[in-house]
Amino acid sequence: MNAAAIGIWRKNPALAWREIENETVIISPDESVMHELNDTGSMVWRSIDGRRNAEALAALLVEQYEVTKEIALADTVALLDELTSRKLLVPVEAGERSAPR
Amino acid sequence: MSSSVQIAATPLMDRLIARTVRMRSPLSVHFDLTYRCNERCVHCYLDHQDHGELTTQECTEILEQLAKAGTLFLTFSGGEIFLRKDLEQLLAVARRLQFDISLKTNALLVTRERAEMLQRHSVRRVQISVYSSEAAIHDAITKVPGSLERSLAAVPLLRERGIQVKLACPLMKQNLMAYRGVMALAERIGVPYVLDLTITPMMDGTHSPLEHRVSVEALLPVLQDSALQSCGTKIVPEDGFAPAVLGSGVSSGIESSAYDDLPCSAGHNSCYISPYGDVFACVQLPMPAGNLRTQRYGRIWEDAPALERIRNVRESQLPVCSKCEIRSYCERCPGLAWMEGGDLLGAYERACTLAEQKARLAGVAAPVSAWRKELSVKSGVRTGDAPSGSEQRPVVN
Repeated sequence: MNAAAIGIWRKNPALAWREIENETVIISPDESVMHELNDTGSMVWRSIDGRRNAEALAALLVEQYEVTKEIALADTVALLDELTSRKLLVPVEAGERSAPR
Repeated sequence: MSSSVQIAATPLMDRLIARTVRMRSPLSVHFDLTYRCNERCVHCYLDHQDHGELTTQECTEILEQLAKAGTLFLTFSGGEIFLRKDLEQLLAVARRLQFDISLKTNALLVTRERAEMLQRHSVRRVQISVYSSEAAIHDAITKVPGSLERSLAAVPLLRERGIQVKLACPLMKQNLMAYRGVMALAERIGVPYVLDLTITPMMDGTHSPLEHRVSVEALLPVLQDSALQSCGTKIVPEDGFAPAVLGSGVSSGIESSAYDDLPCSAGHNSCYISPYGDVFACVQLPMPAGNLRTQRYGRIWEDAPALERIRNVRESQLPVCSKCEIRSYCERCPGLAWMEGGDLLGAYERACTLAEQKARLAGVAAPVSAWRKELSVKSGVRTGDAPSGSEQRPVVN
């Protein structure tokens, strides 16, 4: 299992972002690069709160969209991986964590 | 200035602009925190007396309202923003509300500690006013001895902390030919720059700053300078935030097809807030839309008649300009049309004369603006090749 699947993440506090018409625009100030998430990506992004893990985030997708748990989890892990590699998410260290939802 | 050196928005930025214009969402806000200043620039359009600035609490509430309204790009400017003792508090609020933060400053008060503070709050970009690479010229404009040295000393302090720096150089009689030096300086230190040919009347409508404005004829060497074109593509980063090399100090300089028949972003997806809480479509269009001490931002943005009036302007329906054969060379600003010509929908001499010169430089034979043709008809003078700017009888310059 990769880090995205087992870790807990929070949004990088240095970011600027807004959700506009169900799509999310994110700007990382270090590189002045703009990123965009579609509606499902936006839903995951909105729900990343430093407490939910990949499984909990995927469960929200299952509730909202007609998708199996397996597909939702695979998509969520892929998205978390991508967001992490772009430094849009930072890991929540064990000491910072409260109980997962 | 010239559409040929405007940098097109990236597809992503273009989409964002299109959506926010369609939704009428205030994507970008220019918030002047103070008009007080520690320089006394000869061309400045502001009254530097403090007539009752917004308090920290009032600014905080406004920022919360802006975030709720969907604003992403926030520019704190002035006056000199570092004269606000609560700047760090306001940056902390802006950070908490996830704005993309830019600052405009003369940077005289930027120290290592303040640069660290900006880094802590993830300020993305700082624009510094530089009028020349020669201290004698720069300091004569700011009226502060040593100001160029102090402004430039801030550049490494900021860049070492990952903050982008951009130089902004308004051009006027005092420094017109200094632009080459500013270009070379910017290239040497590796930062983008913008040369701004716009000198505006004061916000109360007084025309005194215009005495420093360069005549269109005197601008010709700048308009003809091919180095401006090539430098623009050399040093401007290729991302959605790329500025124009020649442009306006108040706009992003980003061209987008989303604006289509609209004069600019003002009132459509951007606006301006004064240190006293007044809301305008743009700092160059000080037509009061409302005041945030007595009204909620959302209410003003949605319902103010002044904003509605501006939003209804379509370039294709301008009574004179829509008929102009050299429109494509014109960078008519609705704010300047209002401030200089007194008519939001009207033509104004400066823009027409500049368009004629640019069309002539592009090889158009005997270019004459629609405004000048109408003037000729009214006065009974035959329309022909327009004389150069200095031969005109200007309205304000």
